[in-house]
Amino acid sequence: MNEKPILVIDSIEKSFPGVKALSDVSIDLRQGEVHAVCGENGAGKSTLMKIICGVYQPDGGKMILNGADYSIQDPNDAYARGIAIIFQESSLFPDLTVLENIFMGHEIQKPILSFLKSIKINDYPSMHRRASAIFERLGMDIDLDAIVSDLGVATKQMIEIAKALTFDSPILILDEPTAALTSKEVDTLFDTIRKLKSEGHSMLYISHRLDEIFEVCDRVTVLRDGQFIKTEDVAKTNRDELVTWMVGRNLDTLYPKIEVDIGDVIFEAKGLNQKGILNNIDFNLRKGEILGIAGLAGAGRTELALAVCGLTKLDSGELYLNNKKVSFPNYRSAQKRGVDYISEDRKAFGLVLEMSVKVNLTQKLQPKISNFIGIIRRNEEDLYTEDSIKKLDIKTPDSDFIVENLSGGNQQKVSVAKALVIDPQILILDEPTRGVDVGAKSELHRIISNLASEGRSIILISSDLPEILGMCDRVFVMKEGRMAGEVMRDEMSQEKILGMAL
Amino acid sequence: MSLIKKPKLTREGLLAIIVAAFILFLSLSTNFSSKSGIYSFMLDVSPTMVAAIGLSMIIFTGNIDISAGTISGFVAYTAGALVKAGAPMIIFVPAAILVGTLLAGLNGYLTVKFKVPSIVVTLAMNMVHVGFYATFLPQSGWIENLGPRFTWFGRARMFGIIPYTFLVAVVVAAIFIFIMAYSKFGKKLYAVGGNAQSAVYSGINPDRIVIKVFFIEGFLIGISALLRALTRNEVMPSMFIGRELFFISAALVGGVSIFGGSGKIIGAVLGAMFVYLISIAMIYLGFQDYYQFALQGIIILIAVFITVADFSKWKKKRPEAPEGAV
Repeated sequence: MNEKPILVIDSIEKSFPGVKALSDVSIDLRQGEVHAVCGENGAGKSTLMKIICGVYQPDGGKMILNGADYSIQDPNDAYARGIAIIFQESSLFPDLTVLENIFMGHEIQKPILSFLKSIKINDYPSMHRRASAIFERLGMDIDLDAIVSDLGVATKQMIEIAKALTFDSPILILDEPTAALTSKEVDTLFDTIRKLKSEGHSMLYISHRLDEIFEVCDRVTVLRDGQFIKTEDVAKTNRDELVTWMVGRNLDTLYPKIEVDIGDVIFEAKGLNQKGILNNIDFNLRKGEILGIAGLAGAGRTELALAVCGLTKLDSGELYLNNKKVSFPNYRSAQKRGVDYISEDRKAFGLVLEMSVKVNLTQKLQPKISNFIGIIRRNEEDLYTEDSIKKLDIKTPDSDFIVENLSGGNQQKVSVAKALVIDPQILILDEPTRGVDVGAKSELHRIISNLASEGRSIILISSDLPEILGMCDRVFVMKEGRMAGEVMRDEMSQEKILGMAL
Repeated sequence: MSLIKKPKLTREGLLAIIVAAFILFLSLSTNFSSKSGIYSFMLDVSPTMVAAIGLSMIIFTGNIDISAGTISGFVAYTAGALVKAGAPMIIFVPAAILVGTLLAGLNGYLTVKFKVPSIVVTLAMNMVHVGFYATFLPQSGWIENLGPRFTWFGRARMFGIIPYTFLVAVVVAAIFIFIMAYSKFGKKLYAVGGNAQSAVYSGINPDRIVIKVFFIEGFLIGISALLRALTRNEVMPSMFIGRELFFISAALVGGVSIFGGSGKIIGAVLGAMFVYLISIAMIYLGFQDYYQFALQGIIILIAVFITVADFSKWKKKRPEAPEGAV
C-alpha cells in the first residue's frame, strides 16, 4: 500500500427534498487499500456510494481520480473510468444465467461474419473464457450457464464481484457485501478481498458491521448524519472508539417523558420463532410502560411487531395477554384484544394518502358508526373526527383536507389517532418520528408519553437512539433476529445499546 | 461451491414434446395427416407465430400490448386499400407493415413518455382503434374482391403443401431466436423486465429499450396481419378484434413469464402451435364452437400452469413486509 490517493472525494454535498444527506464529506482512497466507510443507519454511506458511481449527482464538492477532476453521468461512465460497484446480491437478474448476468450491458462482441464488420454479435466463447478466468482467480468453480435464481446467496454475491471484475477496474466499491452471508461465507469473501488487494485493487468497503472492519480493512472513515467525522488507521483505533464516533450525539431536551407508575406484566411473548427471521424471542411488557426495541436495519424489529399482532404467521411461540394464553391468527383478532400496530411506512401501510383526514381517522371506526346495511352515520363520524383532531392537536385546515398535503408530523398524528379508535391497551409504534421535523417530533413524544400515562403500554421501535433513551423505561436490543440484550432506563447509554446491536 | 451440471428438461423442451405428441395423436386417430389437414394447420398458425414473437418481446420487458389485434386491422386495411388503388406488392407490403410499426411505436412512446402502464395505454388504444374503424373507414374498412394481386402470396404453396406464409413465419422465428441469443439488445429486454433498477446500474436505459421493443413488435404485428389478410379475397379490420388474446396466450403457454424477465422465443412459437393444435383436436372430437372456446381456455390455463407456474415469482411480486430502518 502506498500513500498516494487514487480517488479523492472532496467536500461532497448532497441534499434531497427536506433532507441534507451529505454535507462536506471527504474521503481519500489510497492505491491498494481497503477503506471502510461506516456509520449508523442513515449516516449517508449509501448516498455517498451512489454519488461515486454516478447514480446520483452531487450538489457540491469535487471528485479527483488519478489526480484529475472527474464527474460522471451514469454507472457506465464509472465503469469506463475504472470504478466498479459491487452491489448487494439482490441486484442480479434472477432468470438469466451467470454468464448473462456478469456481462449484462457490456457483452463481448465480434463481427457476425469476417467480411461484415459492422454487424456485431455476442461472442459467447470469449465471454466464457473471460468469466472462467475470473472465477478461477476468485478460486471458485461455477457453472456459468446456471440460472441465477437457483443459486445460493453467497454464490450470488461472488457473481456480483465477478461482474465488477469484468471491467478490469482498479477501484472497487463494495456495498454491504456481507449483509446476507453466513459467517463461513463471509470468511470466503474476505479471502477474496485480500486476494484482490494483493493484486493492487483499491476498495471502498461500506458496512456497519464493526468486526469486519477490523478483520479486513486498512483505514476507516466514519460518517454520522451525513457529516464526515473522522478517518483513522484501523490499527490505531478500536471498536469502542468507533462506536463513540458513530454515535457522538448529546441527548437534547426533546423528550418530555412523564413518569408513570409501571404496573404488572400485561403481555408476554415466549419463544417466538419465524424461520430465518425471528429466533427464539422472549419479552414482556408492563402496564404503562414504554418498551423500546432497538437494533440495526434488518435486525428483525419490524418483523417481530408484525408477528406479534398477527400480520405474519409465527412458526412457533406463545403469547400471553393478562396471563391468559392468546393467539392472533390475523390482525383483526389482535385488534379485538386491544393490540394495535402503527407501521413505519405511513405511505404504504398506514394511511390512504389521497383521502381526507376524516376518512382516514374513521377507517377503523366504520363498523361502529354504520347501520346494518353499512351506511355511515355522518353526524357521528363528524363528531369523532373533531374530537380526534382536538385531542391530538392535528394541524389541518378542516376535516376534509387531503392527508397527503399535511406535514409528516401531522400525518403521523392521524395514524396514531386512527389506531386509538379501538382503544388499544398495547400500541406498537414503528419508527413513529422518522421523517418528521423536530417540532412535530417533540409533540409526538408528548402524545406517546400521554398514552402511557393513561395506562396503555407502548412498544416503541426506533432507530433513533436518543429517542429510545429519552422515551423508554426499558429497551430490548435486537440483532440478526435474536434478542441481543435488555437495558433498564437507569443503565441506558447510546454506546451500550449500539454495542449490543452491532 | 462446485455445481454439477444435470440435464434438465426445460419448459420449452417439455412443450416441444407435448406439441409433438399432439401431432402424432392427431395423425394416428384422424385424417389430420392428410395433405389438406397439414396445409391448413400451417396456414392458420403462421400469423399467430409471428405475432406471438412480437408479444413475447414486449412481455420480456414487463409490458403488454392489448391493441395488437386492432393494429392488425389497420395493417390489413392499408394493404387492401392500396391494392384497390392499384399499388403493387412492393409498395403495399412495406406500407402496411409501416402502419403497424408506427401504431405500436406510438403505444411504446405513450407508455414511456407519460409513465402510464402499457396495459392502460394499449387497452385505451384498442378502443380508439375499434372506434376509428367504424367512424372513419369507408364501410368500416370492408374491402372485397381484392383479386389475385392481393391473394397470390397467401395462397401460394411450396411442393403443393407448405404455404409461403409458413415459410415467412419460420424465417422470422429463426431471425428473432438469433437476435435474442446473440445481440446486446436481446439481453437488455430481459434485464429491463427482470429488475429495472439493476438494469440502470448496468448502464441500460429502460425507457429507450421499451420504445424500441414496441416498434419491433409493431413490425412483427405488421407481418402477422399480412400473413392472415393475404389468404383472403377481402379485408375487414374488425376480423382482427380480439386476436391479441391468441397472441398473448401463445406466448404464455410457451413459458413467457407475464411478470417479465424470462421466457424464450422458441417457447412462444411452440405455444402458438399448441394453441392451434388444441382447436384442431376439438374440431375432430366434434365439439361445437362455444364448447371449443371454453375448453381451449381451460387447456391453456392448464398448460400455463405446467409450463410457467413458478410460485417464487408470485411471492416476489407481493408487497413485502416493511423492513427495518435505513
